[in-house]
Amino acid sequence: MTEPKKTLKKPRGVACLVEGKCIACGARCQSACPVNAVEMNDAGEPVIITEKCIGCVKCVKVCPAQAIEMYFTPEEQKILDELMKQGAAVEEVDEEARAVAEKIAAYSGVWVFVEQTEGEPAKVSWELLGKGRELADALSVELAAVIVGEKVEHLCNEAFAYGADKAYLIDAPVFRHYRTESYLKAVCHLIDTYKPEVVLMGATGLGRDLAGAVATVVKTGLTADCTGLAIDDKRNLMQTRPAFGGNIMATIMCDKFRPQMATVRPHVMAMPVKKEGATGTIVRESCEVREDDILVKVLEIISDKKGRDQVDVAGAEFIVSGGRGMMGKENFAILQDLADELGGVVGASRSAVDAGWMPPERQVGQTGKTVRPKIYVACGISGAIQHLVGMQDSDVVIAINRDKDAPIFEVATYGIVGDLFQIIPAITQRLRELKQQKSK
Amino acid sequence: MQPNPTVFTPLLIAALVFFAWSCYRRFSLVTLGRGEDRFQRLDLRVWDMLLYAFGQKRVVAKPFGINHFVIFWSFVILLIANGEFLIRGVFPAVSLALLPPSLRHALLLAFDAISLLTLVSIALAVGRRLFFPPSYLNTPYVKARSFEAFLILAFIALLMLAYFGLHGAEIAMGEEEAAAWMPVSSFVAKVLLAPHSSLLIPVASFCWWVHAVVLLAFMMFLPHSKHMHILTAIPNCFFASLGKPNTQPREEFTRGSRYGVSEVQEFTWKDLLDGFSCTECGRCQNACPATATGKPLNPRQVVHAIKTNLFVNGPLIQKGGKPIVPLIGEEGEGTNTEDTIWACTTCGACLEACPVLIEQMPKIIKMRRHLVEMESQFPEELLNLFENMEQRSNPWGIAPTERTKWCSTMEVKPFTAGETEYLFYVGCAGSFDSRQKHVSVALATILNEAEVSWGILGKEEQCCGDSLRRLGNEYVFDKMARENVRLFQEKGIKKVITQCPHCFSTLKNDYKQYGLELEVVHHSELINDLLKAGKLNLSQKVTDLGRVLFHDSCYLGRHNDVYEAPREIIAAATGAPPVEMERTRNNSFCCGAGGGRMWMEEFIGTRINLNRVEEALRKNPDTICVACPYCMTMFEDGLKDKLAGQTRVRDVAEVVAEGLR
Amino acid sequence: MLVVACIKQVPDTTQVQIDPVTNTLVREGIPFIVNPYDTHALEEALRFKDRFGFRVAAISMGPPNSEATLRKALALGVDETILLSDRCFGGADTLATSNVLASAIRRLQEQEEVGIVICGKQTIDGDTAQVGPGIATRLGFSQLTLVDRIEHLDREKRTIRVRRKLEGRHEIVEAPLPALLTVVRELNRPRYPSVPKRLASQETEVKVWSNDVLRLDVNAIGLKGSPTWVNRIFSPERDKGEIIGDGVNDPVATANLLIDRLLSKDLLAL
Repeated sequence: MTEPKKTLKKPRGVACLVEGKCIACGARCQSACPVNAVEMNDAGEPVIITEKCIGCVKCVKVCPAQAIEMYFTPEEQKILDELMKQGAAVEEVDEEARAVAEKIAAYSGVWVFVEQTEGEPAKVSWELLGKGRELADALSVELAAVIVGEKVEHLCNEAFAYGADKAYLIDAPVFRHYRTESYLKAVCHLIDTYKPEVVLMGATGLGRDLAGAVATVVKTGLTADCTGLAIDDKRNLMQTRPAFGGNIMATIMCDKFRPQMATVRPHVMAMPVKKEGATGTIVRESCEVREDDILVKVLEIISDKKGRDQVDVAGAEFIVSGGRGMMGKENFAILQDLADELGGVVGASRSAVDAGWMPPERQVGQTGKTVRPKIYVACGISGAIQHLVGMQDSDVVIAINRDKDAPIFEVATYGIVGDLFQIIPAITQRLRELKQQKSK
Repeated sequence: MQPNPTVFTPLLIAALVFFAWSCYRRFSLVTLGRGEDRFQRLDLRVWDMLLYAFGQKRVVAKPFGINHFVIFWSFVILLIANGEFLIRGVFPAVSLALLPPSLRHALLLAFDAISLLTLVSIALAVGRRLFFPPSYLNTPYVKARSFEAFLILAFIALLMLAYFGLHGAEIAMGEEEAAAWMPVSSFVAKVLLAPHSSLLIPVASFCWWVHAVVLLAFMMFLPHSKHMHILTAIPNCFFASLGKPNTQPREEFTRGSRYGVSEVQEFTWKDLLDGFSCTECGRCQNACPATATGKPLNPRQVVHAIKTNLFVNGPLIQKGGKPIVPLIGEEGEGTNTEDTIWACTTCGACLEACPVLIEQMPKIIKMRRHLVEMESQFPEELLNLFENMEQRSNPWGIAPTERTKWCSTMEVKPFTAGETEYLFYVGCAGSFDSRQKHVSVALATILNEAEVSWGILGKEEQCCGDSLRRLGNEYVFDKMARENVRLFQEKGIKKVITQCPHCFSTLKNDYKQYGLELEVVHHSELINDLLKAGKLNLSQKVTDLGRVLFHDSCYLGRHNDVYEAPREIIAAATGAPPVEMERTRNNSFCCGAGGGRMWMEEFIGTRINLNRVEEALRKNPDTICVACPYCMTMFEDGLKDKLAGQTRVRDVAEVVAEGLR
Repeated sequence: MLVVACIKQVPDTTQVQIDPVTNTLVREGIPFIVNPYDTHALEEALRFKDRFGFRVAAISMGPPNSEATLRKALALGVDETILLSDRCFGGADTLATSNVLASAIRRLQEQEEVGIVICGKQTIDGDTAQVGPGIATRLGFSQLTLVDRIEHLDREKRTIRVRRKLEGRHEIVEAPLPALLTVVRELNRPRYPSVPKRLASQETEVKVWSNDVLRLDVNAIGLKGSPTWVNRIFSPERDKGEIIGDGVNDPVATANLLIDRLLSKDLLAL
């Protein structure tokens, strides 16, 4: 029954795992497999049941780590090579892909949500406008600011100054305080109406509260805490962010859904240059939200600057800690000065607490508080392991110590060997000068 | 002088009945305790009993103990005299006179001399308690100048005086043919009684009755006083732990059980017997680092609390009732506070000091077990430790992947079954603590130099669990121990080197309970052997460490009797034996970090490590030499606190490695 | 009233690294733990139980071995545990995850009124902080994120007043029940399980709900319901420790150098 001159049928092959490449992403291949040919082992790696595999390539496509490839027997490989020679490889038209492309084409523009508390904007919003400008330019679309609040129109001009082409403004008394429900309705209303392709928010308490809700309602992807944003060759947003506690960076895509939403940490994107007098279009929108419908009430906003007596070392973003090298209780004043400049608090090592220089609730370490500030300044702390375990997850550790062999330098991002009584006041002084220059 | 049996016999019977009834009441309380097998190796037990109870080995370790030795042996020998006295009181015909004269004479001579000696000892004891009582005789509940103590001393003195009075009178009356063998009684007869011949009969009679009444009173009082130890100390030494109590018993984790001890009857019968055996001598109190630094813990008080708690609650429990005095709770007699229980460093000084081999420390750990395992009640700092141990198998919660970082500067082989001889069990401090990592490197260098076949477990190494067990978290310790034992067995590990006395003791002693027999050596022992065998040759004498002082680690010395090895290697490396501290060897004073105290704050009293550092500094050392990572940390910290930065701390391995350069 | 704690089993992230040679995740021997933030969520749920006698359920979505996490919750004292486990839940991002969790809570609501749902602020593997808001939005519950103190629960008026921890400020918010709280570590100190409870937890049943129970559209869960996907992973560039300047001889210049470094690396903003 063999036909001597049959057109070569393209062999499909079977999927197989590439040793050592699986990242245990969470069983994407298993979920993608239409014939249940993928089982997961205890390590979270796939075991492909060759007999069941139909060679659909779905798992290969879905694998984020290129850990699955198609295996062809030598004979099959020969046929493939033959086909290659004939140049007969015709791209299969993907119906699914076409539908997606159509759907996402309806969305255009980069938006930045401008966060404000009682009319005071969060700086991260301007940083995002800076980044948003880059993205909008790469896409050749416009950059818009989304401003929701009460009496916040002044923020529109500021947004233009930081690079926005347009501002969507919803200004009503019901938006005086941020409340998830009211803001959610406002932002979703704008998205539904104007269909942006990218929406950025600050990865602040407020931003993350809102973004999570918005993405759920509009049913799109949201990538948290991004540290890098860029546009790929298919006009998709590449969102890079730390995962696994910062031990790994991952680039996340949301190519089949719009808008692509991301939150970005403060201080990560550069602050754009402010162009005073820049203008743009203000699009005023109203949103049907009545105060009576919003049952959540903000009763009080307490600025942390007020309650100095209640110092929360565990939750602080900047900590200036002193150890035995501080030599005495009175010397902690210079640490307080620096902490004030940074907007942080003063912590202490166990020996400083033992010596009675600082109260026990300020103690950082194994038997004290575990802290994860943005910047931890260790002053006159040698860095015994008992202390290190309490602060080593800080984003940046600055160590100032006279002893160059002190173990604290092993975990320090930046170390200064020298006399802390000279160096710390100099740092404080420098910060003050720079701030004064800036305010001028 | 003829006794009057018709009066005396009922008295004696009444006293005996009362004594027996009291003993029954008391000792039946002991049976409330849980079962515990203390009957293995009877030969060793008899030996311990002879050595510690009759030989009074620990008692005479302190100079004043000799006084007790005298009284004890007097008591034993005079038992014959008193036995005769009682029997004769009932059956006047039965007396020593029935013995061959020579034997009788010898006995009478002994009685006479011993009674005088006892009288002198009693006078010394009274004088000590009255005029120069050591502080360790006092606790809030028992005082040096207690009525009870003086009453007992008075009883004994009266017995002796009555003895001389009675026999003196008899000699003066010419009724004693053996007067020549009784010099003291004869002296009393001649000097005091002879001039009053008319009073001889009343005096004899009076003395006989004084002797009789005091003797019976003494007997009746005995079970109700701390002098119950006369009855219990000997069995207590017999039933004492055969090995050093350096480990704690396992717990069986089955549903419905209770763990640890929160009520007195949950102790074992031996724990309760310990309570009855306490002589209130205060030696444990005097040795305890917690007591010395103002903590609420006093090992003597812990034992006293168990005893008094049992006295109050025991009879209620016997009747099926509930205890009314809590064993753990607010301060009060019969109750241990939580602060007391957490203050223990498990240094074993109390165990080493107790003349009657009471095991104080294990009782504290049993109560810790209750607090941790049943109540989840512990100083909050420990939560971190417990979670870290369970999740990352080290106290600091550092990623296990960092276990090998200490050897990033040198090549270290993994332990391979069949090829490697020794496992170097680096331990958590040696792996993670930047100071102790230097010791790991020093030791690795020494092992390489001596061409020892060794390897490490690397990332697979897990914490031995010492702190957990001493802190009473037996459940998690049990899990970790099983894991480790499985790992060791899988890898075919037979010989282990440790640089930490806590790992050392845990692998060596605690893991035995899990059926793992290892040859565990502390690095000081191995280095010493290598030096002695000529396998390790130092290229130079270590001179730049100056005056080297050695501090004994509790878990190396007291708990495992390794005293000489570290000293010998210091001597070999520096050319001179180390300077000794005042409290040294088995009398060494804890650094303050054992028993899980390393992971707790020391809020109460003064700091233990400072106490020890001050003691060390009194010897003007240039270098303090240690053999334990905990001691290392505590000394480093203490020296910094004392601003004694010019004094260094070195591990013994570092001292030796210095000589290899 | 039922209080639901949502918890997750996560790899112990401090131990996760990328192999510098193969550029893949080194996962060998990395243990799984209960997401640390979730332990505070559990604790707060149990405190509601202690104070008001509410029942507490812990739910978790994950592979079958996540059961261990729920057993830990049992050992701490929760009354009921449900593991949401199904092949088709796998590969989910936050949107698909909140769908499954919300659906499970809805199902619990059929039996008993769910008054409070508590989640950890975020997980340590994903660090997104998005699942909590996702659940709240899907269920229409009051959304109270970043709670660092429970001020008051009014059972009559059915309101809860909490303090939220935000950047540089705290906010006191009152909201009607049912509410979803996400909690920060400062909120409480988790309890430690007693041994009898641990042993009992080993013998208690952990209910498993698959999609046969939840009956969700397979296109809205798991990988298929996840808009986002991981394209690439790589090791972060880490600044190795660096000694700055000559602090001994020129402290002022060294201090300036440090500030410049911090500013240029965007580690500090004026």
